[in-house]
Amino acid sequence: MTTNLSINLKRASKGYYEGENLTGVVVVDSSFGDIRHEGLTLTLEGSVNLQVSSKNAGLFDAFSSNIKPITLINTSLELAPAGKIPVGVTEIPFEIPLKGRPTSAGPGLLETYHGVFVNVLYTIKCSMKRSFLNKPLNTSCQFFVQHKPQDPPPLKPVRCEITPNSIRASAAATRASMPHFQLYAEIDSTVCALDKPITGKIRVDECSVGIKSIELQLVRVETCGSAEGFSRDATEIQNIQVGDGDVCRSRDIPLYMVLPRLFTCPTTTTHNFNIEFELNIAVIFEDNYLITENFPILLLRCR
Amino acid sequence: MPAYYSWTTDKKQKHKEVSHSFEVNVHPLKENTIQYVTNTSKSFCENLQKWSLPFEELDPLLRFEKMNLDKDNLPLEIDKPKKSCYQQSWHTKRIFILNKYTTGEKLTIVSSYLPGGEKTLIRQVSNLNEKVKHRLEQLDDFDESSIRKTMGLSQQEFVTKVLMLDGEIKKAWDSEQRVKAFKIAIQCSKLLSDVNVMQFYPSKFVLISDVLDNFGLLVFERLKHKSFGNKKLNFDDIDPNTVPELAKETCQNWIYKMASIRELLPRLYMEMALLPCYVFLSKEDIKSSIERLTKMIRGIGNPLVAVYIRLYLCNVASKLYQGCEKVFYDNLNEFIEDYQQVFHNTMLKKYGAQLLTADQYLNLYTPAVGWMLFGTVNLDTDKIALLDELLKKCEKLEHSELLLSCLVAAFDSPTIIQKSTKILEMISKNIDGMVIAHQVLSSLGSHLCSVKSYQQLSSDVLSETWLTLACKMNTTTANFLLVLEPWIEFACLQLSSQQINVILRVTIRVMIKSKQPADQYSTQIQSVLKRMLKNIPDVEELFLMDAFMPLVELPQTSHSKTMMAKTVLSIFFERYKLLHIDDPIVLADLMRLCRILHDSINAVTVEDESKVCADLINKLVVMCYCDALEEQLGFYVECRGAFIKLDSVLVTLVHAVNALASRAMSKECAAPGGPAVRACAAYCFITVPSLSCAFTRASLYLLSGQVALRNNCIGQAEANFKALVSMIPEIPEYIHEDGQRKPSHERILGLISNLLSTLLVLPDNVDSNTKAYILSGLIKVMERVFWSKTEQLYYSTLLRILDVLCEMTQENYAYHINTVISNDGLYGSDEEFIKSMESHATNICEELLVVLKALGDAKETKKQYNLALELFWRIIRRGDLEQTPMLILANKLWMLSQKLQESDGKCARSMLSALQDSAPRRHLLEILNENMI
Repeated sequence: MTTNLSINLKRASKGYYEGENLTGVVVVDSSFGDIRHEGLTLTLEGSVNLQVSSKNAGLFDAFSSNIKPITLINTSLELAPAGKIPVGVTEIPFEIPLKGRPTSAGPGLLETYHGVFVNVLYTIKCSMKRSFLNKPLNTSCQFFVQHKPQDPPPLKPVRCEITPNSIRASAAATRASMPHFQLYAEIDSTVCALDKPITGKIRVDECSVGIKSIELQLVRVETCGSAEGFSRDATEIQNIQVGDGDVCRSRDIPLYMVLPRLFTCPTTTTHNFNIEFELNIAVIFEDNYLITENFPILLLRCR
Repeated sequence: MPAYYSWTTDKKQKHKEVSHSFEVNVHPLKENTIQYVTNTSKSFCENLQKWSLPFEELDPLLRFEKMNLDKDNLPLEIDKPKKSCYQQSWHTKRIFILNKYTTGEKLTIVSSYLPGGEKTLIRQVSNLNEKVKHRLEQLDDFDESSIRKTMGLSQQEFVTKVLMLDGEIKKAWDSEQRVKAFKIAIQCSKLLSDVNVMQFYPSKFVLISDVLDNFGLLVFERLKHKSFGNKKLNFDDIDPNTVPELAKETCQNWIYKMASIRELLPRLYMEMALLPCYVFLSKEDIKSSIERLTKMIRGIGNPLVAVYIRLYLCNVASKLYQGCEKVFYDNLNEFIEDYQQVFHNTMLKKYGAQLLTADQYLNLYTPAVGWMLFGTVNLDTDKIALLDELLKKCEKLEHSELLLSCLVAAFDSPTIIQKSTKILEMISKNIDGMVIAHQVLSSLGSHLCSVKSYQQLSSDVLSETWLTLACKMNTTTANFLLVLEPWIEFACLQLSSQQINVILRVTIRVMIKSKQPADQYSTQIQSVLKRMLKNIPDVEELFLMDAFMPLVELPQTSHSKTMMAKTVLSIFFERYKLLHIDDPIVLADLMRLCRILHDSINAVTVEDESKVCADLINKLVVMCYCDALEEQLGFYVECRGAFIKLDSVLVTLVHAVNALASRAMSKECAAPGGPAVRACAAYCFITVPSLSCAFTRASLYLLSGQVALRNNCIGQAEANFKALVSMIPEIPEYIHEDGQRKPSHERILGLISNLLSTLLVLPDNVDSNTKAYILSGLIKVMERVFWSKTEQLYYSTLLRILDVLCEMTQENYAYHINTVISNDGLYGSDEEFIKSMESHATNICEELLVVLKALGDAKETKKQYNLALELFWRIIRRGDLEQTPMLILANKLWMLSQKLQESDGKCARSMLSALQDSAPRRHLLEILNENMI
């Protein structure tokens, strides 16, 4: 005997703003006969899960590596009272307002985010209680929360020249052995909209050795902690090659990176954790010598 | 029944009836005959060409060259390019690339999706833990780490593998494993970053771009299906506003997935493959994305990889919207900006390591640059201004030859011609460093050929510049000849023959200087000659240049010599419009070529081949013309000596000599029976026996005999006829013609009839005792001929002999030859002569009765009936019915025919009605009527 329970959200993208109503249907598909149940409930849950990286765990010996999650939203709704659902496919429409409560993380809901140490997840669950002989049926479905787009902030372009002198190499000796090079890089704005690509350009003016690759790296910096201490970890989200091989000298090579969904969110600073982003431009020479230039960036949800 | 009936002929009165006649001075058939000859020779020639065409092309690479030329003409034909035009021309270009860029090197393919490369885990899965582990391992197989390298693939294997990957994509797609399909496509595009085995790269690009196109189409079609169901929609009809959210979301997902590909090259290729899908989100995005991609390609360091990805971008763009020429133009400019990368040190090292020469390396770029130019040329701007702009850019570049060569190839002739002086200047500035100067020069030359009259600048100057350039060019002889080919055409069209001669001399000098045997260039020399022969206004002029024949005879091996001779001769005859060739120099040259052709024939030569040769030589024989008779006969004698192996030429020679003899007579430059005509007759009589086909020999004997007779060379005529008569039994029953066995009866009958009617006017040799010497000989031959008696050939021949015998006894023959005194005049109805004729007739009549009996025995009633009537007819028309034996014989034959009653008797009745005109016949009629009752 199979009874399937599933949730279909009305919006294909499953992305919602705070304050909107979550609409959709719960589909009960019973192929063998009427279903008797003790009530159908719908729960909306949203929480921040924090984890401390193992290298910093020593500081937090007292704690488990998992810090208690912060609940952002938790609403439930009775979809149907105890009763019977006829054989076949039954669709029960629902509508729940998406409204968070003020927490330590901030006044409202946070954007969905998948990180290494910080995860912001929203799920909608449906549970069907049944007679005590049967297990209750459960189903869940993730959805995504986004902030309402703000007005676009003014652009903040940055430019830099990368030369052996501008590199913070550990010793002067290595600097001396470095090949001669002169690079020019430009990022159109360090304040970036999440759904727009990061753009800029890089130019190799001079370089005495061959270049193997020029790459653009997006890095997240997650900070978790409390009054006792904190851990700060930078991990790579994605790395995109913009130059392959020994590129032509004195030519502007465009930098272009589409920000991945889910793995990015607006730069967030809260009492318990921070999510920040940085951009690295890496140039790898033919002898695998790597030089990088770092740009902190501010991500925003804006038009 | 056979009995002895002595034959008496009815001697007619002199001038019994005068038939109505009128004077004609032109032979009614003459005009027609001439037309017929020219027509057939032409169509015959065309036919020959049609059949020999497959053999002419020895080198398949030449065919590609031809395709190349065809393609270059494309831009001229199209005025306003459409989307489909790009696709069509790309299709031809595609095939061209695949054919041109091939390799024998071993190739490497890197992929984890090929069935051969995948590890198959054969392990018993016992518990859950194992199962999970197994699954994880399988998942690992798709990781980067498990990618397998398959090395040492031949080109064909590589192509199969790529096709296999294409199949894998479709399979994965159909089984809902879309991400897998995506991953395979990415791996395919990664193959394009490998520039080992460079000379295969263009072909590799074509193969893989097809795979990517297919993948892009799969995604596009799915999104279209998601948006509009099965509705048939063109690309242009899709409105992003009507696309449902779900489809948009899916499209977005594809784009996000593509945007996160780490490596640059696969990301660019995948974005291009997915470009059509942008239409589901917003149409404006496509243009801006293309512009962005155009710039992003700058990040590709390897110039070869970069130029081909630009080509792919142009291709995708041309499918998406009209007015895509801007994309071509932008990409071309980007390429020009990055031009120096092509000559980057690492690239030079790379192609050096792969043992490519510099021109081979540069040629790897031409299809891509050519394609970008192809689109650029279609821009809505002034072409001359565009070319000017590009040439200016060219001037600024170092090693501008690659771009220059592509420019010259891509633009249309009028534009290039306007700038030709400038282009030549540019070449001459850099000639020392150029490796593909020959390409530039040769395509410039072919542009110049298309011009009607070159007025802007005197062509001599242009040509001289060219000549100095071509000599300075530090390149191989093959390349020199390549350049020569179009320029010689230009020279032929525009310059005087002295100048052409100078060019030819230089060519010979270059060939000799190269110190290589000329044979390896024979095909090229051949095509140079072809061009010259086809384009020079007056073909004869070529033979008057002192450098032409030496050039033709430069190659020394017999094969290339033959090819050369054949080419020259066939084109010469095709273009030569006059009926005769009378220039002795030209004749001597042609004769020399024909000799080469003839000498190439040996025992193993195929029949068709020798037929072609014979045809060419025949043309020379027919066209030769000298004013002096002896001289021309001398030429024919020389021909006979030179072309003894070819029967067909000998036949033509006999005909030609006969014609010559007739000409001699008609012009009255020789006396009848004089030495000249006798020499002709002797020539024929000597030539004919060497032919192998008996029937041809026989008919030529007859013809020569007739001509000799007409020219009053009675001895020669008699000799010919004698030879013919004595060889009649040798003529086989079947003759081979066009590969078929054909019965020869009809023709022999015709031949003999022809002979008989000639014999009537042939005067007897007074020295011999036999009357009507040849005719009696023929009758004797008939006795021992092997034909069966019941055969129509046999008795028809007898009947006709009977006819002639009867005619012989007349006092005055039906026709005469002007200067020849026939037997009627010779004997004047001499008793003895008539007696001997009648005795022959009696014998033949007797033989015919034997045949009648034999036919009766063989139950061939129809034949018997016909023969009986025919004989009856002969008796009543030609026999003297006043003689009783004749009367009895006629009566018996009539009875026989009435007894048989084969047909409705119409013919018989009409015969009877002819019996009314004289007394003896009426008497016979009465007797017949009596018998009937």
